[in-house]
Amino acid sequence: MTHRLLARPELGSLVGAIAIFVFFLVIADPFRQTSAMATVLYVSSTIGIMAVPVALLMIGGEFDLSAGVNVTASSLFAAMLSYQLSLNVWVGVLVSLVFALGIGFLNGFLVMTTKIPSFLVTLGTFLMLQGANIAITKQVSGQVATDNISDMDGFSSARRVFASSFEVGGVSIRVTVLWWLLFVVIGTWILLRTRFGNWIFAVGGNVDSARAVGVPVRQTKIALFMGVGLCAWFMGMHRLFAFNTVQSGEGVGNEFIYIIAAVIGGCLLTGGYGSAIGAAFGALIFGMTNQGIVYAGWEADWFKFFLGIMLLFATVLNMWVRRLAVRR
Amino acid sequence: MTDNEVVLRLEDVVKTFPGVRALDGVQLEVRAGEVHCLLGQNGAGKSTLIKVLSGVHRPDEGRIEWLGGEFKPANPQAAMKAGIATIYQELDLVDDLSVAENAFLGHEPRRFGFVRRGYMSRHTRQILTRLGHGEIPPGRMVRSLPAAGKQVVSMARALSHDAKLIIMDEPSAVLAHDEVDNLFRIIRDLTSNGIAVIYISHRLEEIREIGDRVTVLKDGRTTAANLPARTTPTRDLVSRMTGRTIEYVFPEQSTQDRGEELLRVDGLGRAGEFADISLSVHSGEIVGIAGLVGSGRSELLETIFGARRAESGTVTVRGKTLRPGSVGAAVRAGLGMAPEERKSQALLLGEPIYRNVTLATFTGYARGGFTNAGKEIAEANRIADLLELRPRDVRRPVRTLSGGNQQKVVVGRWLLGDTKLLLLDEPTRGVDVGARAELYQVIRDLAARGVGVLLVSSEVPEVLGLADRVLVMREGRMVREAPAGELDEDTVLDLVMAGSLQAEEVTL
Repeated sequence: MTHRLLARPELGSLVGAIAIFVFFLVIADPFRQTSAMATVLYVSSTIGIMAVPVALLMIGGEFDLSAGVNVTASSLFAAMLSYQLSLNVWVGVLVSLVFALGIGFLNGFLVMTTKIPSFLVTLGTFLMLQGANIAITKQVSGQVATDNISDMDGFSSARRVFASSFEVGGVSIRVTVLWWLLFVVIGTWILLRTRFGNWIFAVGGNVDSARAVGVPVRQTKIALFMGVGLCAWFMGMHRLFAFNTVQSGEGVGNEFIYIIAAVIGGCLLTGGYGSAIGAAFGALIFGMTNQGIVYAGWEADWFKFFLGIMLLFATVLNMWVRRLAVRR
Repeated sequence: MTDNEVVLRLEDVVKTFPGVRALDGVQLEVRAGEVHCLLGQNGAGKSTLIKVLSGVHRPDEGRIEWLGGEFKPANPQAAMKAGIATIYQELDLVDDLSVAENAFLGHEPRRFGFVRRGYMSRHTRQILTRLGHGEIPPGRMVRSLPAAGKQVVSMARALSHDAKLIIMDEPSAVLAHDEVDNLFRIIRDLTSNGIAVIYISHRLEEIREIGDRVTVLKDGRTTAANLPARTTPTRDLVSRMTGRTIEYVFPEQSTQDRGEELLRVDGLGRAGEFADISLSVHSGEIVGIAGLVGSGRSELLETIFGARRAESGTVTVRGKTLRPGSVGAAVRAGLGMAPEERKSQALLLGEPIYRNVTLATFTGYARGGFTNAGKEIAEANRIADLLELRPRDVRRPVRTLSGGNQQKVVVGRWLLGDTKLLLLDEPTRGVDVGARAELYQVIRDLAARGVGVLLVSSEVPEVLGLADRVLVMREGRMVREAPAGELDEDTVLDLVMAGSLQAEEVTL
């Protein structure tokens, strides 16, 4: 039993998260306040919601570099569609879901059909979306951001779903934290309790074997890309309803943050190994460091430097945990 | 056993690939509850036959009958559903799934979208117990199992499908000796339940022990069917596998005397690969090593060349002992090697021929950090003439050459420097018949110029026809050394397959 516990991919990231939590608890006074914790959780959730499908995709042996800009693209799509056609915002929300899933499908379809590595295919869609985001936004609204949609029909109800807060013991917690938890639970349930989860491990770990025993490899991988699309849409909706307007150049670079969270959480770049809970710890580490540096009064510019150190450290730690698991 | 009903029948099955007739009229009959052994040399068509039966390839001609009906699986899943499961030589499991998840991968039992883990785990435990390995926990990650355990899981996967025929492709290759006994116990248990097994192995003694009937393949054809596995004399089995239809054309054996001793290997060994190998190669002499894949011959060549570090013994070239594990030392001493996997190990496929030829002696063409392409091309042209390279244009990428000409480039590389001794690992693999003859001539010419050649080949006629002296290896040991004239193909095959004739006759 202990060996099974040790063998879990998220062990390294759990240890790392605790260490970083204690570290900032000791050196940064403001970090100890519950309101600071709420902020950390919020920052973590914005990464964590995306890290779940990105981790599943990585376990399935693929990458999605378009994940970051897909968040922006779906929020731009929803905002502009609703505003320009004066529709209830829920129409924009739902149509943009179809759009984001379509991007995911396109990524998966291209990867499976052309056999080009997903790194390249999604680098292509990343660049295309990045360009289209800005170009189309400028074309449609004459500026680099969308128009404010806060006075439109359905806005307040959509905001409640995607970007509200609630009070717990006098501390305001953002709703995305709950959504994050839900996504992690669903991701873990899929991985460990459904046959689709088995297929994810199989297509990432030994694709020939998977094919030979009848796993629908193509459908599995396309579904994983669409999962990234789904969560990108969700985060896009959060940003839209949290800020009422969307900057068209946002999201670039976030794809790597998601991948880093997944890798810190124990996912292998080569596929076949990893966990959704680990990705959540990875996101939490990201959020704690991001805020902790501010609370500690350090120059925020150091953030990426620390992130880099943690990535390397986590990778070594995970490798060690994995070796322990093999040795049993 | 032989009165049981016939479950599988193949009639005149043909499968062609571009340029190769891999199966050229295969007949096979398998009865319920028997262990039917497939015997044949490398390239006889065993692998293709397995793939046809497991639904990977579809036959071009002929008829397959399975349980009384025609068998035309559209894909591997269909074959598996029909009750034919295959355990491939390479273990085909997913390392980071549990034992139970691997066993049921692709046909997981479900209820309301949930995998029925309890059921799956119980069922897996039942199967494992039936296989005599109830101690393997169904929840254990496959990664942490030893090779033998993984094979049990492969077998559990086959049984989870309710297979009526299990094809085992050299299942004993990854197992230690006592694990083989357990494998046989499992096989006997399967057959007593009416499951048929097609068993493929190079080891005659295993076939004697576990097999009921034997079918022999040669060059894609059935040359003997349904021989009794225990009583058919080895000589009969072996002669059905040999006697090639492909003509080998060997140049005349040279008559010149062998010169000074170039290479001396003394007591060379590496744990688990080969042990206590001693041999010598003289100037102008071709020494051939015969042995099956896995007999340690490629590892031996690589160790002599320094690509693997010898654990015991020495390699001496012209009186000087080489530093173990140093390719540089070997090359400086005048050794050159053409490895078996020439595409991955030896050639830069996208680069022009001349670049590939000059690769080993690069530094000679560099001046101030730049290579002198003119000189490289001139030298490469000289080699191309020597080897009759076709097409002759040395600026062409190596990729565009035929297999035989690619091999000439690998050999030619070593002719540039002052290589005294060439190590050739399967020099004619993937080379067509016409080009083979040329390659043989090239190797002979080299020997005539005083180069010593140490050659490894799975094709026994090639070793016998080309070499002056033949060494036979089996399971990491040298079992025979003789002048090529004193051996024939049957004798060598007897030696490389397990068990000597004499020992065999005592038990019969």
